[in-house]
Amino acid sequence: MIEKLKAQSSKLKVSIFILLLFTVHCSLFTVVEAKVYIDINSPAFKKLPIAIQEFLGSHGKEISDIIRDDLEFTGLFAHIDRDAYIENPSQPFNPRNWIPIGAEAVVKGSIKDDKDFTVTVSLYDVLDGKEILKKEYKTERELIRPLSHSIANDIYNALAGETGIFRSRIAFVAEDKEGKGIYIMDWDGNRITKMGLKGNLVLSPRWSRDGTKLIYSAERNRQWGIYLLDFINMTERKVFSSKGTNMVGDFLPGGDDFIFSSSKDGTPNLYIMNLKNNKTIRLTSSYGIEVSPAVSTDGKYIAFVSDRGGSPQVYVMRRDGSDVRRITFEGSYNTSPSWSPKGDRIVFAGRRGTNQIFTVKPDGTGLTQLTTHGNNEDPSFSPDGRYITFSSDRDGVKGIYIMRVNGESQKRITPKNLRAFGPRWSPN
Amino acid sequence: MKKVFVLVLILAFGLLIIGCPPRKIVQPEPPAPVVTPEVKEKVVEVKPEEKITEPKVAKVETKEVETPKYIEERGVFEDIHFDFDKYDIQPDAKPALQTTASWLLKNTSAKILIEGHCDERGTNEYNLALGDRRAKATRDYLTALGVTSGRTEIISYGEERPLCKEQTEDCWAKNRRAHFVVLRESGK
Repeated sequence: MIEKLKAQSSKLKVSIFILLLFTVHCSLFTVVEAKVYIDINSPAFKKLPIAIQEFLGSHGKEISDIIRDDLEFTGLFAHIDRDAYIENPSQPFNPRNWIPIGAEAVVKGSIKDDKDFTVTVSLYDVLDGKEILKKEYKTERELIRPLSHSIANDIYNALAGETGIFRSRIAFVAEDKEGKGIYIMDWDGNRITKMGLKGNLVLSPRWSRDGTKLIYSAERNRQWGIYLLDFINMTERKVFSSKGTNMVGDFLPGGDDFIFSSSKDGTPNLYIMNLKNNKTIRLTSSYGIEVSPAVSTDGKYIAFVSDRGGSPQVYVMRRDGSDVRRITFEGSYNTSPSWSPKGDRIVFAGRRGTNQIFTVKPDGTGLTQLTTHGNNEDPSFSPDGRYITFSSDRDGVKGIYIMRVNGESQKRITPKNLRAFGPRWSPN
Repeated sequence: MKKVFVLVLILAFGLLIIGCPPRKIVQPEPPAPVVTPEVKEKVVEVKPEEKITEPKVAKVETKEVETPKYIEERGVFEDIHFDFDKYDIQPDAKPALQTTASWLLKNTSAKILIEGHCDERGTNEYNLALGDRRAKATRDYLTALGVTSGRTEIISYGEERPLCKEQTEDCWAKNRRAHFVVLRESGK
């Protein structure tokens, strides 16, 4: 009898324990849910219904529309049409005006346009009925676009928990009457700026890791030279030139070294050059073609193109040139590799009748085709690894395009009257 | 007691499977705007204002000026052609190369520029490397025929300067070429 009682009391303890566990499980989930509105890394996330009201004051619609376009391109938000809103922009936030139309987050803002251009922004959680972000931004009137992108970054960060890329830029090459030159624009294709740098032929520029420099190759006076553009001093200087074909390449982390392909010693091979002491180290010694080196974010690995196997294919090796492995096996023409920021994927252009964009893991598995129409080349990742920029001739004239990393939402961001190619997403 | 235990167990697992009870019940509301603010708690204070700035990007002018050292003479020699993605000299290119070599051996003051070109189907950088190999293979052939390497210069233009702009096999074949330019020093 006593034993039976003991057994029963231990069972009771177990029951209580299970119930306790269950309670903890629920409260745990409640805590997580309250902080992250969209789990962007979950494959089965639900788009967050968001309402972005027209901001009060001058340029209000323009600013709200830029924020809306930024957030919509991510594919993580479903923007609710402004015609459906019950609350006026001038009325204070009340969750009861937003629940009926299905909004879960609401953005409101107002602008004061006097000496400074000041925007005050509030972000509300409808279900909890509370303000989760309130911030004031000051700028000059000509910086309305960067200002709006900064607001979008803060909203994205508050709801998705990650850093947005809406202030990032894309460097590229375009051609006009004066020849080819380097251009820079916002990631959404706005504010295209011609840098004034030109050559008969100019190749895709590469950013330094801190975003303060560009390195690129240009042919001038029948020589292929490598040039460095410094945004802090606004100077251009030739850092390497020799007989033969010289092409960057990429910066190594730290910014003092860059990798490039040169045929100075005969055939195109890969070299690392130090910008401080101008010394070069040769990494490959093949009789064939070694070109288009790209350095992984941690600086430990280099992806490149070689025809050592009989056709151009993508290979990966260590920074010192050892441990060379081929990673592309399908198709007879795979070129232009570039690393994802996390180093978990490499994007490249592969020829399947026409050139298409693919991603693959650095071990050669998980090949995924992202484009199907026209010729698509020169791919590179956005700083958060969620988007890819590339060039395409699918609309007739070569232009710059962006898409999500899964191939969704492909769109042209440069105008049809500008022949543009070689895009590179800035690192910040 | 045993029954209670089993019941609790079933209840607990049942709840685990069903998940947590929904936290919010959405009730239909009349679509007239509610003007009174109903912010339950103000957890967020106004963050210190952010000043949005941007470094001014000035135009940088290229300092190098194009100074033509030579007068170029084109069309003196026939182009030679290559197979797709290949850089070895084809047998049918040999007569043209022999003609070029014997002219160079006679006209000892002339220099020659060999341009390597590709069709548009590849990608820019790889095509530049391929054009480099084509120009070099051509120079090596001329060297074998007795032309000293100091008399030849090479440059790759990749796919950047097509001869023919249609997207046909004929056109691509014309573009996969080594092109010769006679260089005479200006002022002579």
